[in-house]
Amino acid sequence: MNPTRIFVIAAAMAPILVWSCVVQAAEIPSPDLSISTAIDRLLQESHDRAGIVPARRTDDRSLLRRTTLDLAGRIPTSAEIRAYEQDSASERQLRLVDRLMSAADYAIHFRNELDAMLSAGGNSPQEWKDYLLRACEENQPWDETFRELLAPDQNLEEQRGAAHFLKSRLNDLDDLTNDTSSLLLGVSINCAKCHDHPLVEDWKQDHYFGLQAFLAQTYQTRSGRLAEKPPTELNFKTTSGVEKSARLMFLTGATVTAPEDKRTDEQKKADAEMVRNQREKEGLAPPAELGFSPRKEFVKLALDPANRTFMARSIINRTWARLMGRGLVHPVDQMHSGNPSNHPVLLDWLERDFIDHGFDLSRLIRGIVLSDAYARSSQWVYDTPAPPADQFAVAAIKPLTPQQLTVSLIIATMNPEKIPSSDFHEQGVDPNTWKSFRTELEKKASGTARLLEYPGENFQISVTEALLFNNAAQIQNNYLKSSDERLVNFLSNQWKAQQTQEDLHARSMDSLIQTSFEIVFTRRAEEDEVSMFRNYLLERNERLPEAYQQMLWAMITSPEFRFNY
Amino acid sequence: MSLFSQDQWPTRIPPDTGLRGIENASQLRDGTSRRGFLKASLAGTAFAASMHQLDILQSPALASELKRQQKHVILIWLAGGASQLETWDPKPGRATGGPFAAIQTNVAGVSISELLPKMSQRMHHSAIIRSLNTKNADHGGAAKIMETGRAVDQGIPCPDLGAMIAHELGRADSQVPDYVSMYSSTEGRRQGGSGFLGGRYAPMFLTEQMIPENTSRLESLSELDHSARSDLRSFLANRFREGRPDLSVDSHNSAYQRVRGIMSSANLFNIELEPMDVRARYGPTQFGEQCLIARRLVEAGVPFVKVARAWWDSHGQNFETHLELVSELDHVLATLIDDLEERGLLEHTLIATFGEFGRTPQINSSLGRDHFASAWSASLHGTGIRGGSVYGKTDADGLKVIDGEVNAADLFATIFQAIGIDYRKEYHVGARPVPITDFGGKPIRDILL
Repeated sequence: MNPTRIFVIAAAMAPILVWSCVVQAAEIPSPDLSISTAIDRLLQESHDRAGIVPARRTDDRSLLRRTTLDLAGRIPTSAEIRAYEQDSASERQLRLVDRLMSAADYAIHFRNELDAMLSAGGNSPQEWKDYLLRACEENQPWDETFRELLAPDQNLEEQRGAAHFLKSRLNDLDDLTNDTSSLLLGVSINCAKCHDHPLVEDWKQDHYFGLQAFLAQTYQTRSGRLAEKPPTELNFKTTSGVEKSARLMFLTGATVTAPEDKRTDEQKKADAEMVRNQREKEGLAPPAELGFSPRKEFVKLALDPANRTFMARSIINRTWARLMGRGLVHPVDQMHSGNPSNHPVLLDWLERDFIDHGFDLSRLIRGIVLSDAYARSSQWVYDTPAPPADQFAVAAIKPLTPQQLTVSLIIATMNPEKIPSSDFHEQGVDPNTWKSFRTELEKKASGTARLLEYPGENFQISVTEALLFNNAAQIQNNYLKSSDERLVNFLSNQWKAQQTQEDLHARSMDSLIQTSFEIVFTRRAEEDEVSMFRNYLLERNERLPEAYQQMLWAMITSPEFRFNY
Repeated sequence: MSLFSQDQWPTRIPPDTGLRGIENASQLRDGTSRRGFLKASLAGTAFAASMHQLDILQSPALASELKRQQKHVILIWLAGGASQLETWDPKPGRATGGPFAAIQTNVAGVSISELLPKMSQRMHHSAIIRSLNTKNADHGGAAKIMETGRAVDQGIPCPDLGAMIAHELGRADSQVPDYVSMYSSTEGRRQGGSGFLGGRYAPMFLTEQMIPENTSRLESLSELDHSARSDLRSFLANRFREGRPDLSVDSHNSAYQRVRGIMSSANLFNIELEPMDVRARYGPTQFGEQCLIARRLVEAGVPFVKVARAWWDSHGQNFETHLELVSELDHVLATLIDDLEERGLLEHTLIATFGEFGRTPQINSSLGRDHFASAWSASLHGTGIRGGSVYGKTDADGLKVIDGEVNAADLFATIFQAIGIDYRKEYHVGARPVPITDFGGKPIRDILL
């Protein structure tokens, strides 16, 4: 990048920096507020300042679908729709959230989301998935998870899986440094590798190599264990050509001094030989732990009250982005002074609450999904232009993840009579029945899920996906085949049973259309939709099972199904 | 048979991406731009429900517009790294020269390896770059550099050349794929990818078979049912879109709208449909057949086709390997150039040949050449190229560049410029500017028209 450009950008950013400092100084509301109240109060203040009237609250059924997709990773079943509507209108959302967060789905979906966020792509090992699942089931405090990802105690079986985070990145030290920083601290500093960051004043080469220095000694033994080499110097060259030795430096500039290396040359040689053997030879006892572990020092610094704002704000922001479709700071790996949040006080409030309550992610999630901001419509029906996305005045439209989509597809096209009850507060319902059903769904869904792309920033649906849904035999066979397990047969059988008199003909068709809409879209069909599908189906009276298949195909390939809106 | 009247279709043309800055629907419709023309022509028919009747190849007005203005690139990717010494930069008589001679070409003063006799007679279409120094001689890292034109990891997934060209030249409502990548060797498969440009510009990647996946209708579903259920889908999709102007949702609709066009373009991959004499010209090799498919795709309007040929990684027996592979390249490349020229397509099509790096001038003890990225060659042919030009120079043994050193960014800038894409263009990924050509890259003016 040429120097003129940097200057122009820096100059353009200066007023923003000043402005953000002013806002930062504003008072943070009381810690006694509930999370949802704090969110709504602070967003409303922001809307008032900007003269924004937010979108209306979405209807109850849409909110049910949205919340179930976000907390359970799937669409609701028809039994769940009924249970929801039996609750009093004022308590519905609260009871729904509590019910969903105590069901098996919650931890499974949360695990899937963490896996997608933290994995280096590809199929992650079962041990890692099990580790994350347990952390989600037990609602392990995030600072503990953070510690275990970067410095797992490998003598404890339950922490061994956590080592995958580092192991999967060990063959590229730059990847390891970048990912640790951007995924766990919300800061993408890779630009600072070759020169001080051109756009962000905060990040210098010293930070990049400082972070790298903490990780550079980590290696994997032949037996698959993380270990650390005895000290090695990490050198880099500045743009002005000066050779520098990296210090162990955290993003705040805080440093740790490594004890002086007093080894003789012979000891160094022996150490190098030991590391080589550990890497290559099988059956060796694990290497002795070093007295000074840079990686553990890193964790200590990152979790120190003076520095932990990075790890806290990063996971808060990513959690917010997952549920609200966009980070309070956007993009989520660009948390720095040049890219301030539009809602700095809210972020500060959430950070304090998160830390005060023991880094409890489920508490945060519950607070967000109970806010009015979460419950807004995704439709902007007014004549004025829609408010900017960073105002959170209209609900975001979120593409389903591959696993959310495929699990939902199975439920949407299943014979509703074959779906067990998930309402285990009801008498005589065994929660384990639902748990094993949900676990089975996960497995069944994963084959097709692997063919779909995981949505990232600016995600677009590819024509490959559209071709798959149009023409792949597995879509037809997995979801639309005629079998007792599937909705297609349920509809056909209902039709046969209902169709006794001529005048009932159209009416019973309408009720089947309504059933389908409720199962697939969680809502009732509008009049024009009913008449469109009624005509379509009645024209194909002679081959109704096929017609139902095509109707359902059109529904599951509609954007209304593909997105969480 | 359509279920709906035309007015139920969106009158707004769905933007294909949020990354494209300037075009909005009205600019597209006003017919002043190339895309505008195509959009306007397609808007009436493509958005009518009976999309299956639309076949871009049968529309003469569209076909001629495509020929007049649409540019294409065919990248022949020499996977594993071809030797510059046995192709475009021979050093006969030197210790590093190997057993092959150099031959004069039809351009005075320009000699190339004797393994390229057919190409030697087509140098008036060609430019040779002999001064690439791309520094990285590791397969994985080097391939990333030569696929994306960037030496430094940008911290975000960067699109490859094909995705960038698909983004620049592809049309939102195209009936053909924008980027096709063919690779059927078992070694060194690299799919490439669209990075931050998104799945819309990902390659249609062909490996196991030459007909793309899921482009034929299941037999259990009639043509009529296939199209009628798409109409039902569109009805629901349009209702959902109301009040929800969202680029991901739009991409969903445009992906489904393109399905029937892509399905009808599946025939493009079927070389059985070519006359026997044309197939015979290209030869019975898989590489030849893929280049014939590339020509068919380009003719139908596909902006970017990559044909990867492996495996050039000749650490041992370099000369046998190159005798075989370069001879095949010579034949197929010359045939492709002739075929495109005869069809009037060469003036719209750029053919590039390169891989991840070249090979060492030093010949190793297995009579092989190893990885070498500091002084190697690429070639460009066709549109925008100054025929018969040679750029850059290596020393007498080919050990280093002594004149006109260029890197991957310069090569990419040259390709962009040759096909009329502004090499200074920038993408914006969130707040991050990512230039289409990596920082500092400049086109090689000497070999451009």
